[in-house]
Amino acid sequence: MNLARSFIFTRVAIFLFFVINLFSIYLLLRGHNHPGGGFIGGLGSGMSLVLLSLAVGVEQMQKVLRVDPVRLATLGLLVATLSSALPMLWGDPFLTQYNIKIGGVGLGTPLIFDIGVYLVVIGITVRLIVILARPVEGLCSLTPIERTRYASEIEKPIDQPIEQKIETNWGGQG
Amino acid sequence: MNLVAMPILLPLLTAIAALLLRADTLRRGIVIASCAFQVIVALALVILTARQGPIALSIGDWAPPFGIVLVADLLSSIMVALAGIISLASIVYGYLELPCRLEHPLRIPLTQFLMVGLCQSFLTGDLFNLFVAFEVMLICSYALLTLEADDWDIKQAFPYLAINAVGSMIFLAAVAFAYGIFGTLNFAEISQRAAGMSDDPRVLILAVLLLGVFGIKAGLFPLYFWLPNSYPILSTPLAALFGGMLTKVGVYVLLRVFGTVLPQDLSGLHTVLAWLGGVTMLLGVIGAVSRNFVRGILSFHILSQIGYMVLAIGFFSPYAIAAAIFYNIHNNLVKSSLFLVGGTISLLNGTDDLKRSANLWRATPLLGVAFLLLGLSLAGLPPLSGFWGKLMIVQDGLRQGEYVLIFVALFTSIFTLLSMMKIWNASFWTQDASVPVRIHDRRWIGLTAVTCTMALLTVAVTIFAGPLIELSHQASEEIFKRETYIRAVLQLKADRGGVVDQAVSVPFEAVSDPIDGTSNPWLPEVAR
Repeated sequence: MNLARSFIFTRVAIFLFFVINLFSIYLLLRGHNHPGGGFIGGLGSGMSLVLLSLAVGVEQMQKVLRVDPVRLATLGLLVATLSSALPMLWGDPFLTQYNIKIGGVGLGTPLIFDIGVYLVVIGITVRLIVILARPVEGLCSLTPIERTRYASEIEKPIDQPIEQKIETNWGGQG
Repeated sequence: MNLVAMPILLPLLTAIAALLLRADTLRRGIVIASCAFQVIVALALVILTARQGPIALSIGDWAPPFGIVLVADLLSSIMVALAGIISLASIVYGYLELPCRLEHPLRIPLTQFLMVGLCQSFLTGDLFNLFVAFEVMLICSYALLTLEADDWDIKQAFPYLAINAVGSMIFLAAVAFAYGIFGTLNFAEISQRAAGMSDDPRVLILAVLLLGVFGIKAGLFPLYFWLPNSYPILSTPLAALFGGMLTKVGVYVLLRVFGTVLPQDLSGLHTVLAWLGGVTMLLGVIGAVSRNFVRGILSFHILSQIGYMVLAIGFFSPYAIAAAIFYNIHNNLVKSSLFLVGGTISLLNGTDDLKRSANLWRATPLLGVAFLLLGLSLAGLPPLSGFWGKLMIVQDGLRQGEYVLIFVALFTSIFTLLSMMKIWNASFWTQDASVPVRIHDRRWIGLTAVTCTMALLTVAVTIFAGPLIELSHQASEEIFKRETYIRAVLQLKADRGGVVDQAVSVPFEAVSDPIDGTSNPWLPEVAR
């Protein structure tokens, strides 16, 4: 389906896409001591992708994103988990953080954890929106490669005729 | 002790690996190895806590009032071990049931995320973290319920989603309320500050709210209708995991909250709990008798067994709590094995509708023996494992003079036996030439092997009932005398230079006994 889009909206949205992403990275970085952080930054970045999908279409947006959003979220989860599990190697409690200062700039492992959260939130936001937006544009809700990863070939493992299902109902024939 | 975090971390890493790998034999190998390792870690945790008492870990090295603690006491470790064993059995069963090509690729990642939520809710020592764990668990369970669902199944799953979403909302409100009363969400600290506040109406309201929330999760009497219709839509291995572990989380949390956290002299509420348990078991078993397909019968039986455990919690004596814990060990294994038997029946007969299944005793006597052992154990026939749990509950009930409830419990047992015999008669004993047995489908051999292994495990519970009951007594002792639990948590606080509440230096009796409200500094002016 070819949706007629306003030229002004498309141009402004493409411009805003970069601005919002820049701002979301700013939110991510300031999150350690100020309001912000991986979650809110990720939401911002995810929203910018949603805006882009409205401007140029979902398929085009997925080409910009390039990666499968679930993979992105998984990668983020992996980063966050590893950064929190690493201190266990030398006996510190799970999720211990280390902070250092290099030339007045505070750096620490919470940033790695936050980047993980950032990726998870982008992945999940995009996943949720894409799966709803693709049918609106007349596309199958999963791309062919996602279908091999996240869909099953069969509906039901157990053969269950319809009569028996009626019995499962409260008001059904006993 | 980082070992406490391992039961949460391992399934998380497994889920990530399963999401990144292709659904093939390699992934299956990795997942099974990880699940086996989870069982080993959990058993190590049981041994360690049985020897040393509770182990606490402050996450991120933050002291308790600000940081979250994970605490493994004997009860939590037992529950984690049971979850590990049942998830291993269910995953192996799922692998033998479906080839890689047909299995839903998201089933394993979601099951592992579910395990994260389960283990976290067993291990956490913080009320808000418990809420988070519940959410992780519930979101995975919503996804798993509707993963391979058709329209009908989604209709059945909807009440599950709706009631649990409302339950979570009330839970969150209750958490906020608890923070308002006690100024902390840490179990150990709430336990200290709440001691002697049992006359305070706010504590009573909090307890009622929590009872309602966990009652929903466990499937207690007025709000149980979501359970018996939603569980049958699950595929067999998932039904085994859900039926074995998921509703038991509600029971565990009731034990934890009423045993360790809230004041121990809320006797009115304990009576309510006992009666709710009684009504639940009766209605559950009547529902089970009315059903005529295996998964439906077993789903109603979950309710009835939950009733037994809640009844024991309601009696609220160290002996009854020990009975509840032992009953939990027995019931988790038996219930999930019965679901596995049901799955094997539906593979062999092509259906688990009792009207259209027959001839199985002749085809697979081994499965029949396994079913008999499990079914009779569920009904509580001596000397099987269910008998000892029920015996302990009945003993304590008689000691407390709750004759009506004991009568209900025994009555329920007879009906349990009746419904088990219904399955036995229809599926195994009846001979009907018109019903085919798909013995040529070789998958049943593997499935029967898994089922029989689980049945052997319940036989082992029967044989080692003595040591296991002793273990339950130790766990119940730990719950009842909160001293060791509180000390393990507050030690973390003291290690980091935190100011520990005065009660830690007070001898234990002063903390647990109902004391005059005026001596509790946490009581606000109004209550004094």
